[in-house]
Amino acid sequence: MNASPITVWEGATAYFTFADSPLILSVVLVGAIAACVYAIVSMAQHETASSKKFKAK
Amino acid sequence: MESAELQTRIEALEASLKMATAINSEAFYWWCTALMLAIHAGFLAYEMGASRAKNALASGLKNLVAFAFIVPTFFFVGWFIYNAFPTGLTISEAGYGALPWSANMGPNLSDNASGIFWAAFTLFAATTASIMSGSVIERIRISGFTILAIFLGSVVWILGAAWGWHPSGWLTSVLGLHDVGAAGCVHTIAGFFTLGVLINLGARIGRFNADGTVNEINGHNMPMSLIGLMLIVMGFFGFLGGCIIYTGDTWMTIYNTPTTLSAFGFNTLMGVAGGMLGCYLVTRDPFWMMSGALVGVISAAPGLDVYYPPLAFLISFAGGCVIPKLHNVLLTRFKIDDAVGAVAVHGFGGVWGLVACGIFAAGYPNAEGPAVSFLGQVESAAVFMLLGFVPGYGLSYVLKVVGLLRCSEEVEMAGLDLAEVPVKAYPESRIPAFGDGALSPAE
Repeated sequence: MNASPITVWEGATAYFTFADSPLILSVVLVGAIAACVYAIVSMAQHETASSKKFKAK
Repeated sequence: MESAELQTRIEALEASLKMATAINSEAFYWWCTALMLAIHAGFLAYEMGASRAKNALASGLKNLVAFAFIVPTFFFVGWFIYNAFPTGLTISEAGYGALPWSANMGPNLSDNASGIFWAAFTLFAATTASIMSGSVIERIRISGFTILAIFLGSVVWILGAAWGWHPSGWLTSVLGLHDVGAAGCVHTIAGFFTLGVLINLGARIGRFNADGTVNEINGHNMPMSLIGLMLIVMGFFGFLGGCIIYTGDTWMTIYNTPTTLSAFGFNTLMGVAGGMLGCYLVTRDPFWMMSGALVGVISAAPGLDVYYPPLAFLISFAGGCVIPKLHNVLLTRFKIDDAVGAVAVHGFGGVWGLVACGIFAAGYPNAEGPAVSFLGQVESAAVFMLLGFVPGYGLSYVLKVVGLLRCSEEVEMAGLDLAEVPVKAYPESRIPAFGDGALSPAE
């Protein structure tokens, strides 16, 4: 996979990975957002589960 | 030397000077951002120390989680909000360059500004969210807190910053708001957001007796809290440095009026000292004395660029004398259990700072819009109060309804660490908890 949007440094501007590929940028961005959402959901589930476990002791 | 060669050399020198200016600017904000991390180290120590030992790690975890979420979410939406909404709720052209897929939002050899300003603003955002953090310790669910922190840090305050801490913000261009140190968009909004959350969250078990009298709930490590507060004050030098725009020719305020770093040096230190002494006089309490340092910074913040230093001292001194009393009124009369006094320190401290600037800095010209005025400052303060309180109350109410706001009574009694955190803060010590030898729920 070629991640580079540039082939030479002369005249380069936005040179971050996949800067020339809106589709891949979108996938990566959505993935990052999904990771955050998942982390919050997981956190809430952990709290609920540990609270129930604690009450059951 | 031939004129063509001279011209070439002049152009090369100009290009070199431009690059040096860009690098100086990047370096300045880089170190301001690094220094602002001390604020988070400070909040971490301060809130863990202010918690009882049974809740120490859960309080700290909350701060760490908030920071980790604010960074990406501020990238996703925060920077866009700041650039898009200075005129109100319609999207400005500059907003499109701050969308998370924009060419400016990543390594770009033609843009030395976006990343470093985004980084500094991200730390402002994390600071704003951390202001709420201490007030809600020892009973809030970490997931609920995280949702509130993201909303405060990556949405609410930055909308306030777009309105009132931006060269084209409508509070400045229409009302003449002057608030160079962000007392309104950071402190007032965070303080009143927190008030809204605390109303729905309720007091810690054991905080109030049946007859309404108050029980003291002491943190387990006051020295750690004091060091934490001092770290926050240190970090505010990065925060306030980041409030100034470095252009290469001169320093500018966020409103494009000229200033100097010296002005901020005079008035930040005088403000810190005034707030500390004011709080000391009315409480004799080292915890409040260090909170008074924050009161001082916040009280002087709006006019750091123009105050005569002894005036900044007096404004902060007055704030320091009043804010602890306001905290007591919130506690005893309104039964608001704010564990660290953030509503009073940041919320009302911010309002006092804005109003004081209207009294003592009225008449100073703005680059855009009317001159600074008492009425403009009061109206802007009201906007910030509402912009903080309404979303804070509304979102925390929703979280309360769906059961994500508060821990169960059993968990709160035993301590959040025991139920939620897989490691122990003090494994070789016995941690008192209700039902485990302690005398009351307040212990």
